[in-house]
Amino acid sequence: MSDSELTIGAGHGALLEASPYGLQSKKLAMWLFIASDAVTFTAALVVYGFLRIGSPDWPRPFEWPSIVNGLVMTFVLLSSSLTMLVAVRAAKASQKSKAIRWLGFTMLLGVIFAALHLREWFHMFGEGWGLHKNPMGGPLDFGAAFFSITGLHLLHVISGVVALLVITIGYKTNWLDDNHVETTSLYWHFVDVVWMFVFPLMYLMNAR
Amino acid sequence: MATDHDPSMATYLGIWVGFLAIVGIEVAVTYRHPATKDLLAILLILAFIEAGIGLLYFMHMKYERKILFWTVVPITLFVLFMMDHFWADAFRMFNLRLTQ
Repeated sequence: MSDSELTIGAGHGALLEASPYGLQSKKLAMWLFIASDAVTFTAALVVYGFLRIGSPDWPRPFEWPSIVNGLVMTFVLLSSSLTMLVAVRAAKASQKSKAIRWLGFTMLLGVIFAALHLREWFHMFGEGWGLHKNPMGGPLDFGAAFFSITGLHLLHVISGVVALLVITIGYKTNWLDDNHVETTSLYWHFVDVVWMFVFPLMYLMNAR
Repeated sequence: MATDHDPSMATYLGIWVGFLAIVGIEVAVTYRHPATKDLLAILLILAFIEAGIGLLYFMHMKYERKILFWTVVPITLFVLFMMDHFWADAFRMFNLRLTQ
């Protein structure tokens, strides 16, 4: 899409002056949201990092099966970014049914990720872990850090699946267009990028 | 616009394989049991490499106008730096409870 088409499509205000970013406003808004969300996650991870380094008796609860579970979750989420890319390419090429199919695969992978995550959580609850419970002794902060950071990420994944479902329905019924699919893909890739920090810091740093 | 310069699917697949390889390296390094600070540094470096590639290619930052990068990234880094070192919340960490 050319700048002039973009400007015309963006409403009366934009007719006065083209966006210096060459983006639709919704895509720019998504970038700004992602920046603010990145700050939230980083703040949580930095505090966790200070606690982790500052506690010599920090617990290391994750044995190899938990790491394997985390690796499978990582594989699933990374793959979901790939299926999202295919969906966006198909949407941009006006291949509607193909785009919807790949959006479906992306949602399915998101649901599998969430299910694996919850399975890990319930396994830990069964071992006595909780927000302020540490069955291994030592700092109680592990549970607070682990469940709050992974919980925040899980909330993003579940929100992403819901957003993708809404976008898919809207795209299928011509209420939304390929730009909405592309904008939502930014959010989905961001959730993937956050996991690139959460997995090594929360799982690998606490592996036995 | 980003779509004029989209990488091929082969490029995306290559990046995806690269990500999996980096995760493999992270696990291999972890099980060599380095000192905690060293492990944190190595894992962070690898995670930043992954995130940078994801930002540039999967999120198409590389194919957008440069002004988007210069608007979003430096300001975000500035906020993080100030938040972790100078603004009031940074000092709360000195008083955090480390043991039960």
